Amino acid sequence: MNKVAIVSTGQTKFSKDNGDVEKLLFESASNCIQSTNNCDLKDVEGVIVSTNNNSKYLGAILSETMGIRPKISHSIEHLCSSGTNAIISAYAYISSGLSDIMLISGAESATNPGQVLEWDKSRGSLEHPIYWGSMLTKSHKRKFETTEEELAIVSAKNHKQAMDNPFAYSNEPRTISEVMNSKQITEDLRILDCSRSCSGSSSILLASEEKAKALSDQPVWITGIGQKTMSASFTKNILGEIESTRIAADSTYKMAKIEPRNIDVAEVHDAFSVCELMAISELGMTSNEKSGEFVRNLFNTENRMINPRGGLIGAGHPLGATGISQTIEITNQLQGKSDRRQISNAETGLIHNMSAAGTSSSIMVLQN
Amino acid sequence: MKKGVFQICYCKKCNNTIWPPREICHICNSKSDWKKSTNFGKILEFSKKESMYFGLIEIDDGIRILGNITSTSSPKVGQLVRMNVSFNSKPNYSFIVENN
Repeated sequence: MNKVAIVSTGQTKFSKDNGDVEKLLFESASNCIQSTNNCDLKDVEGVIVSTNNNSKYLGAILSETMGIRPKISHSIEHLCSSGTNAIISAYAYISSGLSDIMLISGAESATNPGQVLEWDKSRGSLEHPIYWGSMLTKSHKRKFETTEEELAIVSAKNHKQAMDNPFAYSNEPRTISEVMNSKQITEDLRILDCSRSCSGSSSILLASEEKAKALSDQPVWITGIGQKTMSASFTKNILGEIESTRIAADSTYKMAKIEPRNIDVAEVHDAFSVCELMAISELGMTSNEKSGEFVRNLFNTENRMINPRGGLIGAGHPLGATGISQTIEITNQLQGKSDRRQISNAETGLIHNMSAAGTSSSIMVLQN
Repeated sequence: MKKGVFQICYCKKCNNTIWPPREICHICNSKSDWKKSTNFGKILEFSKKESMYFGLIEIDDGIRILGNITSTSSPKVGQLVRMNVSFNSKPNYSFIVENN
């Protein structure tokens, strides 16, 4: 298999404005191409669009607006983890030799109703993610004695870290007290425990080893990939666990030949505060019982190793762009380009992206 | 379900429960059929939105459903509930705590 590198990235600022998905895709893709060392658009052999938007033929539309005539172009939809699924698909094209250079662009509009999975009839009329978010939160509190304050620390930490992310939806600091006193959505969820749908786009250019060094002085390599789908129905989850993450993480670590302790920096899928605690546990960085304490220590010591760009809670959650923005953050960290968010000497980073209450997970490890 | 009756989809050949319902069994590819539910279940987890409790309930054959819970006091995990169903463009499940 050919090695695959990330050679450039581009983003738009996430916002609550109702963005036009075609324009958003063009903006981040243009930023991405302009940041490479002399990329000739004739060499881009594939264009993959990641979105939950209902617009048709977006791979070809983005190709035409960018002036690219690729061999491969199509869209990928996989709810909240569409972005990493698009990157992993592009990885497969390159590693198999079908393509050398691929552009992956994700975008979402703030008003897109794609966060509700209508197929899942086991949710009845309680379709909105706040209902499964409440179940996971209550269960975590019950099983692992997680406190309201520990949950609030996740949000306070991620809002604080998002202040140094110029592309984040939120640049407002939120104290633990503000989070704990924010509007109660359900008995177990406050508004500041929830990630927010927003408009935004992010793009990434992948290249084979042969092409990567001409396009970037600092290629970042995708060295581990793991994916797992358990079901589409949230109600089949075992409460207190994200089994898909645990299984995907195991595959990722084996492929990258690393262990959890080797991770210097990680972007994890904090759709709700409790999801960050569950993710870092299933990724083997701590245990569910100690996850609240783990995050408290990060917050108190200003250690940004988890969700340095602010996660989904701080940066916003434009579904199709989220996994790509997570990957861009880890790429920047491994290139030493994260300014005030920089983790010193970061060599190995992880991206954790999941869908529909963790019924499926996609994980990647990047190394410089 | 439009008549307020919840039926369980199962495989006529291997007896596997198929949830959400489908015409063909995903294990042995045989045709499915319906059987009546007891309409009783137990609370696995619950929370509250405004004045309404809701939760994850397990009914017959391990089928799990999210729905509203009617209870005069805070529900408890493991508590027995009785299910009512209705259908208005989408299914609506509600559960009443027994021996409230």
